[in-house]
Amino acid sequence: MSRWIAWRIIQEIGRDRRTLAFLLLVPFIVMTLIYVAIAEDETVKVGVVTRGAVRLFASQMIDAIAKEDNIAIVSLNIPDDEIDNKVIVKLIRQELNTRKADVILYMDENLLNERFDNKPGNIHLYIEGTHPTLTATALSAIADAMDDLAAAMPTVIHADCSAMCADSVNSLPMETKKHYLYGSEDYRLVDYFLPVFPPFFVFFFTFILSTISFQRERVNGTLERLMVAPVSFFQVIMGYVGGFFIFAGLQAAIILTYVLFLVSFSVNLMQVIDIAIITVLMMLVGLMLGLLASFVANNEFQAIQFIPLVILPQIFLSDMIWDIGSFPRFFQLLSYPLPLTHANTAMRNILLKGQPLWQSWPQLLTLAGFSIVILLGLMRIRQNKSF
Amino acid sequence: MQLMVKYMLSITALSKQFGQHQILTKLHLEIAEGEVFGLLGPNGAGKTTLIRIIMGLIKPDGGDVLLFGKYRPGSIEARRLIGYMPQQHSVYPGLSVLENVLFFGRMYRMQDADLHQRAVDILQMVELEHRKNDLVANLSGGMIRRVMLATALVHRPRLLILDEPTAGVDPLLRIKFWDWFANMVESGTSIIVTTHNISEAERCRNVVFLRNGQKLEQGTPQELMSSYHADNLEAAFVEATRSRAGNENNGALS
Repeated sequence: MSRWIAWRIIQEIGRDRRTLAFLLLVPFIVMTLIYVAIAEDETVKVGVVTRGAVRLFASQMIDAIAKEDNIAIVSLNIPDDEIDNKVIVKLIRQELNTRKADVILYMDENLLNERFDNKPGNIHLYIEGTHPTLTATALSAIADAMDDLAAAMPTVIHADCSAMCADSVNSLPMETKKHYLYGSEDYRLVDYFLPVFPPFFVFFFTFILSTISFQRERVNGTLERLMVAPVSFFQVIMGYVGGFFIFAGLQAAIILTYVLFLVSFSVNLMQVIDIAIITVLMMLVGLMLGLLASFVANNEFQAIQFIPLVILPQIFLSDMIWDIGSFPRFFQLLSYPLPLTHANTAMRNILLKGQPLWQSWPQLLTLAGFSIVILLGLMRIRQNKSF
Repeated sequence: MQLMVKYMLSITALSKQFGQHQILTKLHLEIAEGEVFGLLGPNGAGKTTLIRIIMGLIKPDGGDVLLFGKYRPGSIEARRLIGYMPQQHSVYPGLSVLENVLFFGRMYRMQDADLHQRAVDILQMVELEHRKNDLVANLSGGMIRRVMLATALVHRPRLLILDEPTAGVDPLLRIKFWDWFANMVESGTSIIVTTHNISEAERCRNVVFLRNGQKLEQGTPQELMSSYHADNLEAAFVEATRSRAGNENNGALS
């Protein structure tokens, strides 16, 4: 019985070329866009201007900055023989204004004098400033470069310091050794996002398609005809599960392959099986929620309004992109009843932390619980409501 | 050979209310097997509600319905024996004509070998065999009505319930529909048909006039026409409505 209902859904959706394209191509396009947006880091253009004795350190300075990631050193249109401070600053502002550079580091002739005078000495950073992400990248790169440079700069020892004291001054910078609990130095921001996509897309599309197709079945009266035939409501739902399993499975396979292609870390077969299980669970939750939405809605117009209601909060609150830990407590509580929260946690446990599936048992149990509770709710609504 | 029961359908004191609206009021009705029975009345008379109760889709507030002398509405046995053609175009537009017929046959647990032959026969009957591979979405309204009839009949129901089967159907096809109904009764299917187009119901063996959820009259079309001295069923219905309204007024006065 259920298999024929499943077959009917497969026939109908399978013939609908646009829906199929929507199902299979949209995740591909969206993921590519997100990948390009996040993985291709922005490059900051940095210019360096030195005057006075600091000129001696200019090339060292530039080398140190250029070593940092995402920094490009640009040459500026400021004549080398220009030494009037006011003119230089004016030219620097001009260069920033034309976006020749995003940040310009200006070390003027006073710097070394101040250092010898026992003052820290000022380095001037001229920042274009309208692009906060560029600014942040530049500032952290320059700060890192400064550490390196400090070693090369003349060491100034305080007058009170004895000869013994002077000998003991170690001007070598400390080296940082990084020890990762999870991930590695090659781990990128995009690697954090990619694992959440398979369950997200499968949930999203199953929810939309099941909402609309079940709503249609109700409005057209075909559901009523099934209820009049010797078919139980449970068999109808199982038919839907079967039909959508095929499309969700196909979609998940494509998304998963693409994710595995994009991530920088390697994934083993066991992990693939584990994330497939989570994806299937999310498909079930999406399907049940879709059926519920189409039951609560009185017409297709209302049914469509459930889509943003179900999808948007999950994008914001499920730890998908923004760290839910940094949200106010109230919103953290709101994230618990969202299925995607648990799917995301489990996916990251498996792919990023390399944990075996059973360690995510609270998430698996919660997702299975969502499906069962909604299914029971559906059966109950069905008892009290005629179509 | 199926055992004939005295009454295929017995309805006793059936009442149904939706909110403030009393749809059916203590309705008594008995329908014999082996005939086309017409459930007639204006829009809102309670025809569809009555049918939905018989199908087990809604529960009555009071009263009783018994099918084939022993089955309650909504029981698995009753569901197997009934075929239902609703008012709406409730077939799957994304499936072909044949696929729709096969799908509904399968919902009634028909075996494949039997089902395929039956589907061909039934499509021949409704004259859609040449369009069997076309998607329902590409058919005209009248053709969709025929597909609906085929899907309601495919499992050889003992009782076929048709809710306004000829609504929006052109006159020629309407005559054909009634010819098919006559053939079905001959081959052992009883039919209950609702219509607000009262003149076409002259082809029923028996009819009941419903109004405001109550039975005005029941009998053969000929009986009803002669007792109201009308030359067609529609005139008889109008007369029955008037005289009932008159009686109610008299009752109120006395």
